[in-house]
Amino acid sequence: MQMAPEMMAKGKAETLITVDIADMKISNDIGSTLVTYALGSCIAVILYDPVQRCGGMIHYMLPLSNKSPEKAANNPAMFADTGIPKLFEKMYELGCRKENIIVKVAGGGQLYDDKGTFNIGKRNYTVMRKMFWKNNIIVSAEDVGGAKSRTAKLRIADGRVTIKVKGVEEVL
Amino acid sequence: MISKEQVLRKIESLPTLPTAVAQLSKLIADPSASARDFEAVIKPDPSLTANLLRLANSAYFGLRREVTSVRQAITLLGNKRVFEIAASAAFSRVIPSHIPGYRIESSQFWLHSIAVAVLAERLAVELHIKAPGLLFTAGLLHDLGKLAIGQFLEDEQSELLSKLSAEEMSFSEAEKEMLGTDHSEVGEEIAKQWDLPDSVIWTARWHHNPETMKNVDNALVDLVHLADCMAHMFGYGADVGELARAVDPRVASRLGFNVHSIEAVGSDTEEQIREMGEMFK
Repeated sequence: MQMAPEMMAKGKAETLITVDIADMKISNDIGSTLVTYALGSCIAVILYDPVQRCGGMIHYMLPLSNKSPEKAANNPAMFADTGIPKLFEKMYELGCRKENIIVKVAGGGQLYDDKGTFNIGKRNYTVMRKMFWKNNIIVSAEDVGGAKSRTAKLRIADGRVTIKVKGVEEVL
Repeated sequence: MISKEQVLRKIESLPTLPTAVAQLSKLIADPSASARDFEAVIKPDPSLTANLLRLANSAYFGLRREVTSVRQAITLLGNKRVFEIAASAAFSRVIPSHIPGYRIESSQFWLHSIAVAVLAERLAVELHIKAPGLLFTAGLLHDLGKLAIGQFLEDEQSELLSKLSAEEMSFSEAEKEMLGTDHSEVGEEIAKQWDLPDSVIWTARWHHNPETMKNVDNALVDLVHLADCMAHMFGYGADVGELARAVDPRVASRLGFNVHSIEAVGSDTEEQIREMGEMFK
């Protein structure tokens, strides 16, 4: 069904679109790849609609916006509870449909000694899971937790997601 | 195996901070030094002045109007703050474009440094700790040992990576096993050779091992230790050491933070860190 991405890009160099910390990006340019670096306790939610060939990625820092409503209004991508719905909305605006969207998740890491006081990665993950459960969203693949810093990429041409940890890249 | 002496000799070949910073360090310790003395040291260095003014005008330092001269900056921010900004501006110039071994680019190293400086100061406010002297500078320069040690680690990269992934070994422990020293010890030496203030020397030395520090300002090192962990956790400046670290439980009990204070500090500082982080790319 799908053409090789190399053919679609017709020899053009792929455009890397960087998703910063507390940031989200969407793209339907099949020559582009979304990338986010240094996911520690932060989480990347990666969406892809193979019908529309459209993808989106958020790199959120924190689980809940209730203590910082101004920050959330200013930059919804900082928090899971304001950012994730916004990312879906942006996908819908480009014609994507919920039932077609494939959801992948990466990040939520922690330091070595986490006993809870510092475990923002786990809180980030729990809040996201609750939101997905309430909204009937299924996560098709994830690479989360551990003392790992991850780089995540989404290739818009075919929805391929890769995760790189300590120089080793694998398909998610 | 590389000897500790080899690593320490490398310090001599590093680019040095502009002499202005060492002169300012002396002034900051001298209660009789005047604003005019500070100005006289900074002004002859045009590049330092330019970078200082750029940083001073970032949102973080909270000036209501743009400052265009060193004198104005001193008047509005005071000697201590101007010293801190000058040291940061000077430091931004000596970071090499790539730090081998840690696999980190200068922009990421700078982002991490500025993140630790900002997070440490904001943590002090959040946790109601009287900000210890020169906390910003101490936070900013905490990793300066990495500038000298990177090359040696590059040669041992595969061993280093396997130690970090196989065993739950901290990055400093891995450095020590392979080089006989770590970036904290080397950082202390560099800070001394650059004539930096005691708070910078202490923090460079103890930020990974606050439990073993002696006769130093606990709060200063504790705050930088925690800020360093937070900066890595939030991904400000990923290097190969990444999350291979732990918050010292004694620091945790001394500072008395909880997950909500960490999150508040994280959300409050993101914009400011981003602004200054993008300044010296």
